[in-house]
Amino acid sequence: MISLQHLTFAYGTRTILDGIDVTFASSRLTAIMGANGCGKTTLLRLIGGLLTPTSGQITIGGTPITSYSARTLAQQVAFVRQQQPTDLDFSAFEIVLMGRNPYQHRLQNESQHDWDIVESCMRQTSTWHLRFARPSQMSGGELQRVMIARALAQQTPILLMDEPVSNLDIAHQIDIMRLLRTLKAERTILIAIHDLNLALHTCDDLLLLHGGRALYHGEIRCGLTPDRIRIAYGIETTANDGHIAFAY
Amino acid sequence: MLTALVLTLLAAMAGSCMLGAVDFSLQDILHSPIFWQLRLPRVLMSVLVGAVLSACGAAYQSIFRNPLTDPYVLGVSSGASLGATVAILMGLDAVLWGVGGMALLSAQLTVAVIYRIASIGNRMHTTTLLLTGVSLTLLISALISFLMVLNHEKMDAIIFWTMGSFAHASWPDIVILAPVALAGIAVVMWHSRDLNLLLVGSEEAQSMGVEVERVKRTLLIATTLMVAFAVSACGVIGFVGLIVPHAVRLVAGADNRRLLPYSILIGALFVLLCDTLARYLLRPSELPVGSLTSIVGAPLFIYLLYKNKKSY
Repeated sequence: MISLQHLTFAYGTRTILDGIDVTFASSRLTAIMGANGCGKTTLLRLIGGLLTPTSGQITIGGTPITSYSARTLAQQVAFVRQQQPTDLDFSAFEIVLMGRNPYQHRLQNESQHDWDIVESCMRQTSTWHLRFARPSQMSGGELQRVMIARALAQQTPILLMDEPVSNLDIAHQIDIMRLLRTLKAERTILIAIHDLNLALHTCDDLLLLHGGRALYHGEIRCGLTPDRIRIAYGIETTANDGHIAFAY
Repeated sequence: MLTALVLTLLAAMAGSCMLGAVDFSLQDILHSPIFWQLRLPRVLMSVLVGAVLSACGAAYQSIFRNPLTDPYVLGVSSGASLGATVAILMGLDAVLWGVGGMALLSAQLTVAVIYRIASIGNRMHTTTLLLTGVSLTLLISALISFLMVLNHEKMDAIIFWTMGSFAHASWPDIVILAPVALAGIAVVMWHSRDLNLLLVGSEEAQSMGVEVERVKRTLLIATTLMVAFAVSACGVIGFVGLIVPHAVRLVAGADNRRLLPYSILIGALFVLLCDTLARYLLRPSELPVGSLTSIVGAPLFIYLLYKNKKSY
């Protein structure tokens, strides 16, 4: 369970997040939505400990993340970034194995236990057949799944993903979202996502950001209304039969 | 494989001790003051410097995720050269470690200036770091040329130094360099897995449990110290830190747990070989070892690149 308490973040004088109070429950897939520059990535980076809040705090299971070391935080939170490094000279297996780092000691090599976890994470994400491939030899969707497997190998209760489907074709988008739905049991998954309909049909909850504040947080089916979409994105939509139609 | 490489290096060191302006047989060598006072420290120095430059090059390339980084791009060597040049002009070459000490000071100063410019808060901006390093390197080499033209009579000493040489290697140098080199290399190897994770990206490394800024800082301090000591002992030997890790990577892969030990051994072997050639080819006169590392290394490396390209 992640709790944000009056979370505020500013780059210099530009305030990105302005006092957010939200709690994310376990076993839920939450979409973080809002227009470009609304602070989706900033929010994820704050929870991942990659940025320090200007004020307010973040707690995981009641413990402030500032009291975690990088190593212990990496046992709680896994983060998949938007851009994937395609020039990496490591095989998919080696990349996923890196996810075991927070559990390993410096002078110790990987154990059979680590290898087993890597194999099961790669099977779960359907990437086991890619284990010898390098990122330059994979498609965007395959690399994305490998990076998810890497995050799973960290065995964390929290999984953060920054726009995991933005660069993929529709088949791979659905593929990744289905995968995330199978993973959400006993995990808190937060994903930044742009596609309103995809989010509506695959996510449980919605955190809609606008002007640095939470415009809505709750079940996505109740929350993604034409009124809120107009405020957040400035476009007109109509909702019919659980589908959002745009006026082009 | 590693054991074989260690044995090769030891054999090469023994062989190198026998060759030079005067050749020795195995029987005579232990009784010769030339061996004890000149050859042995020289061979040890070349091996240490080769190991240091390669280890640091490999570490920099992972830290900055940039294939062009080496100890020289970051201003360590140019800083040291300027210090040495000034020391030679001031006549400090008569004092033990006069030139080396100045080089060390000036290298640290240059690196401090570059890091200062490139850090934002407590983070390091890689592009700024590299660009600052390159511009300062150019500025300093221009200053050195300028100083050389103004001081014709000292030109030989300066050239000898800026092109690198092990000819003046002595036991006091080894006693200072060896502990720094071994400790520094140990620090770098201790962080091999962190270096692998840094290759994926700083943020990824952080989210996989690496204290990124602390690790980077520790490694930068350790490598700068090592290179500065190496450069102040033997002058500037280019190309090794850049090329050796790349060549090894083409064969052994990018995993720093393999890359570092192989780079260190191959680097030591390579510099030893170049220095042996430098004093043997035109004996009894000497070639500057810095130019030999480039003459031998560049074609070899380009060949490796070409061969590797075809396999894709």
